[in-house]
Amino acid sequence: MIEPLRLSFEIGCSPEHAFTVWTTRTAAWWPKGHSASGDPKTEVVLEPRLDGRIYERTSDGTEIDWGRITGWNPPHALSYRWHIGRDAATATDVELTFVDAGDGTTRLEIVHSGWEALGDGALAYREANTNGWSTLIPTFTAAAEAPRF
Amino acid sequence: MSPAAGAAPAGDAFEALGDPNRRAIVELLGAHERSVQELADELPISRPAVSRHLRLLKEAGLVVEEAHGTRRIYRLHDEGVEAVAAYLTEVWGDVASRFRLLAENTAPRPAAAASARKQPKRKR
Repeated sequence: MIEPLRLSFEIGCSPEHAFTVWTTRTAAWWPKGHSASGDPKTEVVLEPRLDGRIYERTSDGTEIDWGRITGWNPPHALSYRWHIGRDAATATDVELTFVDAGDGTTRLEIVHSGWEALGDGALAYREANTNGWSTLIPTFTAAAEAPRF
Repeated sequence: MSPAAGAAPAGDAFEALGDPNRRAIVELLGAHERSVQELADELPISRPAVSRHLRLLKEAGLVVEEAHGTRRIYRLHDEGVEAVAAYLTEVWGDVASRFRLLAENTAPRPAAAASARKQPKRKR
């Protein structure tokens, strides 16, 4: 088994707000270039419910699936299958847990696993995702902490 | 859960100082100690965001928290700040001695001598 990618970081807002920003305002904080199409005007859509789709809608209206929600427990936990830019058969698993860290802050714990689905490219893809998360986390944190967002 | 403040390596401190809001907190605490609310009042970020930044600064050994009655007051942690200053002094010391060697072993032309005089002079 390939070791899951584990990330843990704090956000200066409540778990409720962090969960809401992650799931219902995805388009506002998702990094612009981070898409399957590369279209700068593509729009990220997350259907905030169990079995909801996560996809992008490009400027010409094409929808490209990125994943599907497999666990929905607001505001505590969210999980989804994830295959951005790839065939759904090579999906990996993302689990997010929003923990109350006191003083109105939240610790977000992310476990990204299932790399075996990528076969020979698994380790390289895991490494690429390490970089992907490190660009995602600051933009999410900034959005979640923004006043009146 | 978090490392003892005094034991935090200076590397963590520089990482903590990589964020503009945390530098602003350090600058405010440099003037005098403050509560979370007082810091939030001075900064364009929410109180929970200040709490998060303070926690990172505490873990980096740059800030300590004290209970004043029911209030929690934050101030700079002398040891942590001195560790940062000591690191920079050490690096600067090496650069300064190399510069001195170069300066003392190079025959200055008039123009070079003039620009050399403009180098900031640092004691210690």
